[in-house]
Amino acid sequence: MSVEVTVTVNGEYHSAVVDTRQTLADFLRQELGLTGTHLGCEHGVCGSCTVLVDGASARSCLMLAAQATGTEITTIEGLAVDGELNELQQAMRDNHGFQCGFCTPGFMMTATELLRENPYPSEAEVREAISGNICRCTGYQSIVNGIMQAAELIHE
Amino acid sequence: MSSVGAARFVGQSVVRVEDGRILTGRGRYMDDIVLPGMLEGVFLRSDVGHARIASVDAEHARSMPGVVAVITAAELEGAVFPVQVPAEIPNYLRPVFHALADDKVRYAGDPVALIVAESRYLAEDARDAVEVEYEPLEAVVTMEQAADPALPALFEDVGSNVFYTEAMNFGEPDAAFAQADRVVTAMIDSARVTHVPMEGRGGVADYRIGTDELTYHAGSQAPHALRQGLSGLLGHPADRLRVVIPDIGGAFGQKAGLCREDLVVCAAAKLLGRPVKWVEDRVENLAAAGQAREETIEIAAAVKDDGTILALDVKMRLNQGAYPLLGTPAPLFAWIARTMIGNAYRIDSMRWSLDVYATNKASYGAYRGPWAAETLAREILIDRIAHDLDLDPVDVRRRNLLTLDEQPCKMMSGPTIEGVAMLGTLERAAELVDYDGFREEQRRAREQGRLLGIGFSTYIEPAPGPPDFWAAIGFPIGGERAVARLEPDGHLTVMTTQAPHGQSHETTIAQVAATEFGVPMSHVRVLYGDTSAVPYSFMGTGGSRSATMASGSALHATRAVKEKALAYAGNMLEISPDDLEIVEARVRVKGDPDSGMGLGELAQAVYFIPPEGEENDLRSAALFDAPPGGFSGGTHICFVEIDPETGIVRIPRYEVVEDCGSLINPAVVDGQVRGGVAQGIGIALYEHARYNDEGTFVSSTFLDYLVPTAMEIPTIGVEHFQSPVMDEVNYRGVGEGGTIAAPAAVLNAVSDALGGTRVEQLPLTPDRVMALIDAANGAA
Repeated sequence: MSVEVTVTVNGEYHSAVVDTRQTLADFLRQELGLTGTHLGCEHGVCGSCTVLVDGASARSCLMLAAQATGTEITTIEGLAVDGELNELQQAMRDNHGFQCGFCTPGFMMTATELLRENPYPSEAEVREAISGNICRCTGYQSIVNGIMQAAELIHE
Repeated sequence: MSSVGAARFVGQSVVRVEDGRILTGRGRYMDDIVLPGMLEGVFLRSDVGHARIASVDAEHARSMPGVVAVITAAELEGAVFPVQVPAEIPNYLRPVFHALADDKVRYAGDPVALIVAESRYLAEDARDAVEVEYEPLEAVVTMEQAADPALPALFEDVGSNVFYTEAMNFGEPDAAFAQADRVVTAMIDSARVTHVPMEGRGGVADYRIGTDELTYHAGSQAPHALRQGLSGLLGHPADRLRVVIPDIGGAFGQKAGLCREDLVVCAAAKLLGRPVKWVEDRVENLAAAGQAREETIEIAAAVKDDGTILALDVKMRLNQGAYPLLGTPAPLFAWIARTMIGNAYRIDSMRWSLDVYATNKASYGAYRGPWAAETLAREILIDRIAHDLDLDPVDVRRRNLLTLDEQPCKMMSGPTIEGVAMLGTLERAAELVDYDGFREEQRRAREQGRLLGIGFSTYIEPAPGPPDFWAAIGFPIGGERAVARLEPDGHLTVMTTQAPHGQSHETTIAQVAATEFGVPMSHVRVLYGDTSAVPYSFMGTGGSRSATMASGSALHATRAVKEKALAYAGNMLEISPDDLEIVEARVRVKGDPDSGMGLGELAQAVYFIPPEGEENDLRSAALFDAPPGGFSGGTHICFVEIDPETGIVRIPRYEVVEDCGSLINPAVVDGQVRGGVAQGIGIALYEHARYNDEGTFVSSTFLDYLVPTAMEIPTIGVEHFQSPVMDEVNYRGVGEGGTIAAPAAVLNAVSDALGGTRVEQLPLTPDRVMALIDAANGAA
């Protein structure tokens, strides 16, 4: 069974006919070639596949592409502005936020949502916000530091 | 030759080369690879632990939409040779088995068939339609069961589940135990855990009919070893077999060797004449990708009343699971534990025994600090000595750690200890945390019913080990190769044998090479992971080797190219090379910025009109051997507070004073230390790959297998202690130490919070901690 999906991703409008059971993650990766979104567990725990759907974080492994019709989606590919790293990306680079890079898209999108909703988060609030994402490499400190510094950069 | 006047990138936390793609979503991981005509494969795996396969019926599955093949053991006959551990280890049983289970399944997760279809969705549909009939056999789950000859042997051809035993003495343990004032005992039962890289295993096999070329894109830590294994077991000529690694989403030892699934995927591509992709899902990764740390150690120390340790008595038992790993059979890790258990302490004698058992579980393999059981057992023993003799645990370590004045000296197991300053890290750590002050705080807290504890853990690890280290293990590893090449535009390519997967080698090796060569970092490209391009290494990335070995080989290869470049430039400019230098990508007369030529100009001159003589290009290879020293280490301090109502252990503070020699990139080092500690905390408190009595795996999702999050891992303080400089290449590995040291620090802290109660079983889940609290209260 097929279904038509019309969706705006990183500011670009897309229309495609896909399998009704195709997940949003597979749609982004396979139909649109946006492979920056990663699948780490496919059962909604690790958070690697997190994208923003109408500004709110969502697990793209647990959502069907068909459910995204009519929404605006942001993925990690949509963070840089005119080819320049945005504040969160700069801060993560400067803090060596990540190591292997696989969990990165999920943390970046979760942090993007956090900083929009809470521009001055405390460290405890940052840790709480990213507690639904798993990173196996870093021990989280560099990610927490990166988000804290991004908050400062955004307000400069 | 020095780099006077050149920019010095070494020692600075320069930003990572890798982040340009990782932070923008442009990394290219295994599942991102799409080839023309590519098929996708999924494995059908056994959900039972031990059974005979009565029948496999794939007829219906084969007729389903989009299904191209269902490959079982029968289809692989002639395509993949039977599999056996290649190294003949005396006394170690080496059964012969197959890439896909044929007559039996031996663990829950054992691959039975590969279903290949036009998409993964269709392959998974068909997997559900394959019918396998199992005749259950009694499951062998525990080491006690493995030792029971009444239970069925996993492999009939070897006839026993006791796969290896050894016993030996070092020094004169009998005399030492006879002289002892006391014998202090401890025991640790470490839980089976798994690596959990955020990206699982997998590969894309691409076979070209007509040229017989097989390219395997796989997230391997050791691409040359993988190629060698594939070549032998597929009977495929090595000159037409290429392994290429994409970006790798973590590994931690799990992707170090050839796995059975690799053979099946490559064989499928050859049989079908189309590329085949296999991407492991999380359930498979937890169940089948490899597990580790299921070991028990019973340890006893002969001690004097002042806490001096005279000798150890160590009985180690290891559960290797069903199928032995081919390149790194389980006894190897126990041998490293045997070699390292005396560690940086003045311990001259030991009775040692080891038993390795096969059970119906996933393969036991290398996981970040694979021999860490030695540090866990020894460090809890030291706290036990302190407790039993009413001494302070810091004083017991202080009394027994080797001083620098005593070095160089030999460990009782053979390797040379030199320049190891663990006493310094201990003193600094105790000072850093105001140890005496904490004891006072702890006493006051206890009066209010609060349970605070502190735990120390001091260790060294071979990183990469001194020159005589690996021969002492019985697993000699040679030097490491690198090749450097000046490109026609004056940029430098450094080819390394490392296979990075988070270690930031593209950054750190470039730092070393750019500093040596006198060019900006952006002019250095680190090339890795393609067996058709990089020099041979059996090891790849592992064993905490890269800081020393990759840096040293890259340094010397770069230096050799630099010498050639200066010699050619000297000829062209008619000046002695000794009077030339390379600064900012220019060869110039020392101190004269306007003289000389750009490196690109020089390279083009050499490449377009090769000079006469043997040396006629700007490419050099280097082989770098481990310099003296070779140990990293440090002291970890963990603070805990235990909730007496729930048994939940919280870590308010964690400090590391570590010594890995000189730092190439401090931010990379700190990241490795903290990441390692986080995994060690996971081992101590949360993680357990559990099987039930029937051998069914019951930790197959992240709801059952608990990986710590940012809420559980505290801020981890890292301080760098500098021991004496041992070599020009004074960088040592730091990837494994955190995971080696942390479990003991956490466990000792929990024991300390409970007044020295024996803590013997991991992980320290709330129910276990409640039982320990009850035991402590009962004893009080």
